[in-house]
Amino acid sequence: MTQRRFIVEPRGLASAQLNIAVPVFSVLAALVVGAVFLAITGENPLEVYGKMVDAAVGSSRAISETLITTTPLILTGLAAAVAFKMLVWNIGGEGQFLFGAIFASGVAIWLGDSVPSALAIPVVIIASAIGGAAWASIAAIPRVYLGTNEIITTLMLNFIALNIMNYLIFGSNSPWRDPDSPQFPQGRPMPDSTRIPEFWNRLDYGILIAIAIALIVYFLIYKTRWGFELRVVGDSANTARYAGIGVSKKILAVFLLSGALAGLAGGLFIAGPVGGLDPRSLVLGFGFTGIIVAALARLNPIAIIPVAFLMGGLINAGPALQSIGIPSATVTMLQGAILIFAVAGEFFIANRIRRPDRKTEDASEKAGAAV
Amino acid sequence: MNETWPIELLAAAMVLGTPLIFATVGEIIAERSGILNLGVQGTMLVGAVSAFWATFNTGNLMLGLLTGIIAGALISVIHAFLSVSLRVSQIVSGLALTLFGTGLASFLGRAGDNPLVGNPSAAVFKPILEGGLADLPVVGPLLFGHDIIVYMAWVVAGAASYYMFRTKAGLSLRAVGEDPASAEAAGVNVSRIRYVHVMIGGALSGVGGAYFVLSVRLVPTWQDSPIGAAGWIAIALVILASWRPWRAIFAAYLFGAAARLGLTLQTLGEPWSNVPSTLLATLPFVLAIIAMIVFASGERARHLGAPAALGIPYFREQR
Amino acid sequence: MADQDLHLAIELRGIDKTFYGVHANENVDFQLRAGEVHALLGENGAGKSTLCSILAGLYRPDAGEMFLNGEPTVFRTPKEALAAGVGMVYQHFRLVPNLTVAENLALGHPDLGQVLNQRELHKTATELGERYGLPVDPAARVWQLSVGQQQRVEILKLLYRDVKVLILDEPTAVLTPQEAEQLFKTMRQMASEGRSVIFVSHKLHEVKQVSDRVTVLRGGKNVGGVDTADAEPADLARMMVGRDLELPTREESDGFGDPVLTVSDLRVDDDRGLEAVRGVSFEIRSGEVVGIAGVSGNGQRELAYGVTGLAPPNSGRVVLEGEDLTEMSVLAHIDKGIAYVPQSRLGMGLAPGLTTEDNLALKAYRRAPYSKGVRLVTSTFKEKGGELIERYDVRGVQPGLPIRLLSGGNLQKALVGREVELESKVLILRSPTRGLDVGATEAVRNLVLAESKRGAAVLLISEDLDELLALSDRLLVIYEGQIVGDLETSEATAERLGLLMAGQSEMSS
Repeated sequence: MTQRRFIVEPRGLASAQLNIAVPVFSVLAALVVGAVFLAITGENPLEVYGKMVDAAVGSSRAISETLITTTPLILTGLAAAVAFKMLVWNIGGEGQFLFGAIFASGVAIWLGDSVPSALAIPVVIIASAIGGAAWASIAAIPRVYLGTNEIITTLMLNFIALNIMNYLIFGSNSPWRDPDSPQFPQGRPMPDSTRIPEFWNRLDYGILIAIAIALIVYFLIYKTRWGFELRVVGDSANTARYAGIGVSKKILAVFLLSGALAGLAGGLFIAGPVGGLDPRSLVLGFGFTGIIVAALARLNPIAIIPVAFLMGGLINAGPALQSIGIPSATVTMLQGAILIFAVAGEFFIANRIRRPDRKTEDASEKAGAAV
Repeated sequence: MNETWPIELLAAAMVLGTPLIFATVGEIIAERSGILNLGVQGTMLVGAVSAFWATFNTGNLMLGLLTGIIAGALISVIHAFLSVSLRVSQIVSGLALTLFGTGLASFLGRAGDNPLVGNPSAAVFKPILEGGLADLPVVGPLLFGHDIIVYMAWVVAGAASYYMFRTKAGLSLRAVGEDPASAEAAGVNVSRIRYVHVMIGGALSGVGGAYFVLSVRLVPTWQDSPIGAAGWIAIALVILASWRPWRAIFAAYLFGAAARLGLTLQTLGEPWSNVPSTLLATLPFVLAIIAMIVFASGERARHLGAPAALGIPYFREQR
Repeated sequence: MADQDLHLAIELRGIDKTFYGVHANENVDFQLRAGEVHALLGENGAGKSTLCSILAGLYRPDAGEMFLNGEPTVFRTPKEALAAGVGMVYQHFRLVPNLTVAENLALGHPDLGQVLNQRELHKTATELGERYGLPVDPAARVWQLSVGQQQRVEILKLLYRDVKVLILDEPTAVLTPQEAEQLFKTMRQMASEGRSVIFVSHKLHEVKQVSDRVTVLRGGKNVGGVDTADAEPADLARMMVGRDLELPTREESDGFGDPVLTVSDLRVDDDRGLEAVRGVSFEIRSGEVVGIAGVSGNGQRELAYGVTGLAPPNSGRVVLEGEDLTEMSVLAHIDKGIAYVPQSRLGMGLAPGLTTEDNLALKAYRRAPYSKGVRLVTSTFKEKGGELIERYDVRGVQPGLPIRLLSGGNLQKALVGREVELESKVLILRSPTRGLDVGATEAVRNLVLAESKRGAAVLLISEDLDELLALSDRLLVIYEGQIVGDLETSEATAERLGLLMAGQSEMSS
């Protein structure tokens, strides 16, 4: 008899339960892996995880701090999701985030104290979106007009952006450099009128802006003609072209939108909690973490909101770990493990494994046109 | 001293470029099988911390190197499993591996009661010839003044090239990267080839990472980020080398020079030393972008020979 | 009862295989003798390719047994099948385009040593080619070869492995009638060497010409095997189809309307930058069906692209009812009234990962009732989608699931149906019934005929002569990018068309 051991077949549409269960399991699996490494190095995983949960949501202060970190993660998550849905591999979120911050603080400093907040804040925020999009365009334009692979270009741009920011703060007498601290250079603080007001501990209204943008992006992708075209291009560029959709224009638009969203993340973060160009506060890996958020949320803009909160909690746990002698790299490790399991989980959402029956109604594997 | 700065620069470029050669040739091998592995950076770091740890605890360089090789191969199995067996997005899988590897290496370097961080290596690779041929002008430092790993890099690149283009197994490798369905029909085991070559790539990346922390000319002290952005750059170098191992050597040395240029300018005094170091640090990355745009766009990209099936998951029985 | 004297190269018993709800092979028995050319006859969708793929080790059957020279055998991979001497030339070739002919021959060959000797390989390739009447250039890269030449390489690859059983899946689909003749000679030579050839086809006249025995498959089942000499074409046809079926054919028309589409001296490049359409001109009138015959690779794709706006012509004009469309965008072509059913269903005509409803809206979504301003009216997608699914008999649709799960026939019904819904002035189709079963072929042919009745100008580009002869009012033949023949269908015979398709002008010879 030529029976097979088990059969892998494409699953049609996954149930809502599965769509949620798999990401949850990804997180749990990652925690197990982390626990193994913690145990190997002589730590108590439960104690460590307990401390992390405490740091993330253990007090009203902790929750508000986590929400502060959630804001940029929602936006970098959206940036990654929007791009990846179209198979535009924008992994330059880090650099676009920084350029959003650079533009935002630059415009804020230029506006100065005299412009009222009601005008200044929106201008600063818009500037950050422009900054992120502009930085992304360096990779987007060669991609669209020359077919240059964007993976490497966006990646390299991350490092260039970081160095440019350092140059603006440390290596020059630029407007970004704080004139009042020549010994230990840091970014010039933004005027108060350009800072987003806080409403709960240190949490500012940026979180509400981020959530609103997530809802708008959702509407854009699933409820508009433009979004329909985006989904067609993301599925099959050939088919999109055949249907009269301008594929190049679409790719450019989405690439720039992705950059703008990442830039917005930088802008809200710097106009919110940070207040000036400061590498220690800005280079926290929000760009890459956004990719994890997007993957775990399966590219769904609404799901990105709670997932960003989870990641925000995780990130905030880092410094708390250091205070008890655990390397904060544990957080990076967990993030990587979560992403690995999230990606592996895609397989189980897209496919079904079962044992073959003798006379099967269902399929074994797709035949294509071979029959 | 000032007159010899080109020689110095070149010699340093060769040393800096050596780990890049290993990582690039490794990634070329993986990509030739059709699998894009963005996990090179993480793999190199894992190789580095493993090699450092082994040498630190045994004083033996070769053991360290071997540990780095094994660690690199093992951790890249994750990517192979995700890409070949589960057939998920290779790009996200590779990024995940880098993230995990970066965190793991940093974690292992700081963990435990006697962390590695801050400690110099127990042993280092030193130039094999002291004096004699190594003292000759020009060719001395360039050809004879290196440690064994620099020479090994040439051997590895040459062996990889011979393997790929002159052997039956190499033909199977190339076929799998071009058209896995046809290779399968011809009797080649696509999955096995992809697994094996992704692991070989990981092993070589491990060597590259190990070299950073075990070479006297680099930074043989454990720290959180000992390899800079070498893994990422290697991915760009693969394209610049047109997926051919010999060319990887030149691409790697070029980037080694770009990375070293900042220091060299400092020694030349005014006006060169006034160039801000932060901007100079962007040089390798800018170079990579320009090279990508010039060499890897549109029509040229097609003729430069990226394996046709690169990055596309292979579903057996799909036709 | 198997004749005990005749040596059975292969025997299959009770083979069963199901794909996605389609029972491709149902309890199939099959016997192949040594040294014979055995035809596997059946309509598209009858299960011939599946059975052969099982023989060649590509698929594993869900149930059943296989015997090779009397020994029970299981092929888990194509490699095992090849090692046992069973090899297949698929409809879609399994050659690596970027490697040379010699490299493709050497790929995976078990008897070659690790170190490759290019010169030896080239010599062997040339010798093999000469021996079997299939000459090839060993140093050429496969993508440079014509389809007919590639098929030769495929066959040589298997002969280089000394296969004893050679399976050819619809080999003449890509050949001119004359090339097919050469292939038949090669097949008979192989049989005379004691090898067995399984020849899959749905064309009766070929089967009669070259095979010793015929097995007919229908609906996944083996409905009978006979010696070819004893078989009457009418009987075979009835076995294939199960009923006396007449596929829809055009009726004599009482004349056509005004010219709708005029193509003048069109020149279009292919994606390698070489000119593939070299000065093509023709005209289609309202209600007329013009067919373009030709072996694949002679510029058909680029011609379709040039007329629909998917490829910008180098020169020449495409005029629709007096309006020059040549420089306009694809969208403009669609809006002005050109509908196109491409050859590649899931690669171009449909978006494989989107739902059936989304796909059916692909050309109409920009306007009401599908959208209101920038907003999509999702309820319309559902309603109209349901309407179209019913109207065009698209079966197997499950709401919310990607369209690629549908069978080939249903995909094509959805695709053609969507284009027909547009009620355009011009409908262009490329190989619309390729790979479809009888039911779907019938449906598509009816749609094409209905369109011409409605007054559309129909351009039918195909390699299937039966289809072209049945549906066209007029036939053009394309060869190397030029129109080399223009016949009324009544004057067209397979021989004449075959000559033209092979580049033999009717003036000479």
